[in-house]
Formats: sequence, C-alpha cells, structure tokens
Amino acid sequence: MSVLAPARARGVRGWMRGKNLAPYLFVLPNMLIFAVFTIWPAFNGFNLSFYDSSNGRTYRPVGTGNYTNILSDSQFWGVVQHTVLFTLGFVVLSTVLGTALALMLNSQRRGRGALSAAYFLPVLISPVVVGIIWKAALDRTTGLVNQVLSAIGLGSPGWLVDSSLSLISVILVGTWIHLGFYAMILISGLQSIDTSLYEAARMDGAGVWQSVRLITLPLLRPTLMVVIILATIAGFQAFDFVYTLTGGGPVGATTLIIQYIYENAFSYPIQYGLASAAAVILFVVVFAVTFVNYAIGRRSESI
Amino acid sequence: MRLRTKIAALCAVVLATSLSACAPGSPQSEAAQSAPASVDFNSFKGQTLTYVYFTDGPDEQATKDMIAKFEAATGAKVNLQIVPFANLATSLQARLSAGNAPEVARVTDWHPYADKEVDFKQYFGSSYPSEFASGAAATAMDSAGHMLAVPSDVTINGPMINVDAFKKAGVPVPAKWTWDELVADAKKVAAANNMPYAFAIDKSGNRLSTVLSQFGTVMIGPDGKNALDKDKAAKALTFFTDLVKSNVSPKDFWLGSGSKYTGANEIFLAGQVPVYLSGPWQVGAFAKSATFNWAAVPNPCQERCGGFPGGKFMIAFKDSKNPALAAAFVQWMNRSENQREVDKTAYWLPTRKDLTDSGVEYANRQSDMSSFLSQINATPSDTWTDANSPAFTASATALINETDKVVAGQQDVRTAVENISTAIDKAIKAAGS
Repeated sequence: MSVLAPARARGVRGWMRGKNLAPYLFVLPNMLIFAVFTIWPAFNGFNLSFYDSSNGRTYRPVGTGNYTNILSDSQFWGVVQHTVLFTLGFVVLSTVLGTALALMLNSQRRGRGALSAAYFLPVLISPVVVGIIWKAALDRTTGLVNQVLSAIGLGSPGWLVDSSLSLISVILVGTWIHLGFYAMILISGLQSIDTSLYEAARMDGAGVWQSVRLITLPLLRPTLMVVIILATIAGFQAFDFVYTLTGGGPVGATTLIIQYIYENAFSYPIQYGLASAAAVILFVVVFAVTFVNYAIGRRSESI
Repeated sequence: MRLRTKIAALCAVVLATSLSACAPGSPQSEAAQSAPASVDFNSFKGQTLTYVYFTDGPDEQATKDMIAKFEAATGAKVNLQIVPFANLATSLQARLSAGNAPEVARVTDWHPYADKEVDFKQYFGSSYPSEFASGAAATAMDSAGHMLAVPSDVTINGPMINVDAFKKAGVPVPAKWTWDELVADAKKVAAANNMPYAFAIDKSGNRLSTVLSQFGTVMIGPDGKNALDKDKAAKALTFFTDLVKSNVSPKDFWLGSGSKYTGANEIFLAGQVPVYLSGPWQVGAFAKSATFNWAAVPNPCQERCGGFPGGKFMIAFKDSKNPALAAAFVQWMNRSENQREVDKTAYWLPTRKDLTDSGVEYANRQSDMSSFLSQINATPSDTWTDANSPAFTASATALINETDKVVAGQQDVRTAVENISTAIDKAIKAAGS
C-alpha cells in the first residue's frame, strides 16, 4: 500500500515518469505468463465444460448436460469417496507426523541439516519414480516390505492388490513423499517462536509437554493452517504417483478424481467436455474446503 | 492479512492448475483439406519433420537406421521422439488439441485421429492401397475409401512357450492344442519346474479378444454393430477368469495394474510361467533377453482357432507444419526394399503385397515368425473387422475393466457380459458421432 499511495497521489503521469514503474515491470512477465498459460486455459476449460466433445472431434453445446451426467454417474461418486478418504488420511498423517518430525528436528542440535535433507529428499524425486519404486517394494511376493514381514512371521499382505489395503498404501506413500516438505514449513514456524517464552515457562516449572501444548501448538497454529490447506489441495490433486503405483486399481479402489478426469479426457471415447466439467467441480470443492479451513483457522485465532 | 493474501494466491493457483491441467483444447472447426497431387522427394532438403514413435525393442535401431538413410537420400531431417506406448494416445491427443501436431506418428489405432490425418491416396494415387496385402490395406481405409494410415506391420496374437521347461517336464512342444490341453500342459510344466504360474497373458483388451474369438465371438461385427454373443462371451470369460482367480494365471498381475495396459513379458522372461500369450513384436526382444530356449507355437482352439489381429500404422497429420514431407516420409519408409530391411531386424510381419508373397528372411528366429505368420490364415475374418472398428479401443477397455471386477469377486460373469455389451453400444454410438 505504501508503494502505491504516492503513485496515486501523483496520478498516472507521475506514475508513468518511471519512479514507481520498476516493480510492475519486474512482475509483468510473470503476470503475462500466468495469464496466458494459467488463467486463459482455466477459463477455456470452464467454457469447454458446456460442450459435448465426443471423440475429441465434434463440439456441440449441451448446457449443463456434462454436469448432470457426472453427478448421476455412480463411478464419479465412487471416485469422490476415494478422493475424500485419501485426502483425509493424507492431511491427518501429514500434519501429525509433520509436526512431530518438525519438533524432533528443531530440538536436534547435531546433524539437523543432514537429517532435514534426508527427510526432504522424497520431495525432490519425481512422483512417477516414487510410484515405481514403491510398486516394487510393495509387491506381494517379491517386494522388500513383504520379505521383511514374512521373515518375522507377519505374512504377505497384498498392499497394492487387496482392495481393503490399497488405499491405505497409497495414503502412506503420498505422506512419505510430502512429509519432508511440510516438516520444513513447520520448522520455519517453530523457529519464529520467541525462545524467551520457553525459558519463562521452564522457570515457572512447565515440562516439555506443557510447553508444547501451551506455547508451541497455539503459536504454530497459523503455520499448521497453511500446512493443512496445502495438504488438502495436494490430496485432492494427487495423481502421478498413484497412477504409477496402482493404475487406480485394484478394480478402481484407488482411482482418485484427477485420474477420472484424465481418463475421460484422454481415453476412448474421448470426452473433453465431461472431463472439463469434472475439473470445474473439483475446483469448486477444493475452493470450498480451503475457504472453510481458512474460516475455521481465522475463528480459532480470534478466540 | 499476509496469510489471507497467501490463501488467495493459493486458490488462484488451484483454479488454474486444476482447470488448465484438464483443459485439452477449445472448440474448433474442421480444417479445410488441401493437398498436392504429387510429391517431389528432391524438394525436402533442409526441411524437418517430427516422428512420434513408440518402440517394442529391436525396431528402434532398425527404424533409426532407416531414418538415417532417408535423411541421406532426401537431405531432410527427422526428429524422432520416442514415447512409452502407455502414454502414446495421451501425448498425441494433447499435441493435437494444442495445435502442435507432429508430422508423423506410429500408432496401433488410427481412428481417433481420422479427421486430422492425411489421405495417402491424395498424394500417391488411388492405386496406392493395392501395394499392400488386401487385409492390411483394408485396415487402413475408412468407410469412404480414404487411406488414412499406412500399415507398417501386421501382428497376430499367439502363445510363446518356455521350451526348456517343457522338456524338463517331459511335455512335447505342441503342434496344435485346445484350451483345455494348453491349461493341462501348462500346469504340468509349471509344477515340474517350480513355476508359480502356468499361463500369462498381457493385460490388454486386444489380447483378451483372442480368447473371446476362440470361444466364438467378437465385439463388433462387419456391419459395425454390436456382435457380442453373450452366451459365448460368458463361456470365454468364465474360463479365463477362473484361470486368474485360481492363480493359474497371475492374479496380482491383473489386479495390480489398474486400468493401464501392462505386458506380462517380464513374468515370462523371469521363468515364472511356461506359456505366455502375446504377439510377434516380442520375438526380437526375447531373442535378445531370454536366458532359456523358447518358441512361438500355434494358438489354442476352442470353437475356433487362430489368434486376434492388430497392427502398427504410420499416420501423417494434415495440420502439421509439413504434411507433404510427412506423407513422403511414410511412403519412403514403406517402400518394398525399406520395409523388408526393417522387418528383418525388427521382427515385423510384412504388410506389402510383394513382401507377403516373397516372404521376409529374418536374421534368426525364422520358425517363430513363420509360426505367427501361419496363424494369420487360421484367424477368423470377423476378428479383422472387429479389431479395425473405430469403436474397438473403447470396447476393449470395457472388456478389461469388467473382467477385472469378476476377478476381484465384485460381480459375476453374466453381469460383466451385460456391462460389456452396453459399453460396446456406447462406444459404437460415440465413434459414429
């Protein structure tokens, strides 16, 4: 605001003289790229959701036909159920384990950098590669996980081929990928807490758990909200590692909404309009969940 | 305030990514068709074309060698872009939707791109299709007589066996067999060799159509209508799903690959199964990688014999930057001497009439290639029209998905057959729109 105020006071001519033009010029290329490659395709996709584009060849306006078709499609509701379950599991695990990991790393004096790097490493690996690696590791007969489990007498569960286990496997792998990233965000939140508060609490006789409960968690709440929102968005948009890990199987048990959109858009019969409508629905859901999360966060901050 | 700004930005990003990632293109009118009547091969010096390609193995080097010859002969440059087969359709659709069509692509189904493809008869005359074997030429033509693809090789599904394992079990290599005999032999061989499975087949609607055909039915008839005989389909699926459910054929392999095409070649190469049903494109790869003696053998018979056809096509896109060069390249690659050269090293079955008449001498594995070739005559004619239908790919996807549900115990075979039939009707309707 302080940058804009003098510009307004001097009017457009003064603004054009160049004194305050530089920041806008710096931002302009990014904004143009954002508009051309993001905003325009988004609205184009929204427009496409009102067309029937069978086989990707003919385009016929159908009004809200794609939306009604999707909402009456039992496969869509199954996919929504998987996506919500995945997102819930992923957000809870990412937040809880991320906080625990951040607390552990933050209290670590020696080797914190190396440990942080180790936990952050999965974030740097392509999710497709992660899917392939875990697919091998979780194979029922030849996978490393089951070889260890059977060696200690725990049997050989079908992690990726048993419908009751496959979604859990996908949640665990998804959490493994993102945990380091969320832990880093939470560590930066922990480091912004004034250490004198802990010293004062210690002098007043507070234990470690009391310090965490009464100082760390309340002051970490804004950062936790950011992590929850980011994890929610990531959960609803999970696709690449899931596709390589399970292909959405067994029998659709791990098919999430992005795969539903992808397969409608690019498998035969090609239905771009239907896929675009599903993408719009996904956006509305993610926006609503994000807004509710944010509203809850704001309310709890003001209490 | 800062957090609010961050969240607003995040929401914008979500809007953008979730929509843009799934916005394949905008409505557009069909481009007007214009094409030269002939091609001057000397005029392409310095010009470039992009060839989107998927490889089965040995064909890659053979194709690269032939491209080098084309470049030397014409002075044109070919940018070969190899993509995994599983991503081919997605990659091509995305490029076409974005208005960035490659000049040439290698595909297994040209119908999805029919309105964007060059008609080779416009470039090389109305007699051009007659250079190819009639069956192969027919698979490249649309109902209006346009030649929208050039068949670069023909395939026919068939089994390959681990000869060493058969010998060890004392089971003779079959000269002909029924499905019951195949399963009995395979079980005996697997048991004698401590193999976990007796029979493997690629997770593919085309491959599973082999079983349907042998039990007497196809999905789409010569008239383009739903031809699924529900009783015969139910017998075929009962037989097949029983094999998978009882782990005679690997159940985890079927359930673990979800909706994706997956080859069972690694299971065969690892010596985990004595009989594997796939196609001749595996011959070159197995010749290089197999650590045991193996052989291609005839398909099993039930009501009918033979395999199920498929093929690879070269297509040229008329909306690409250089459709004339694209057409010229496809024609050049499929000239008699060039197709013969690639067939020899890539283990492809020829499509040109002169080559099918004279035969191709392969570097080795001649008897295996001849075994596949012999299956072509044994394959019922209605399978060719089934495989060539514009509705086949979508129907084949339904065949796989519904079979999956039976294997997982989520539905019975009769329900699966009803659902497949409904999906075939839907695919035929969509293909006609």
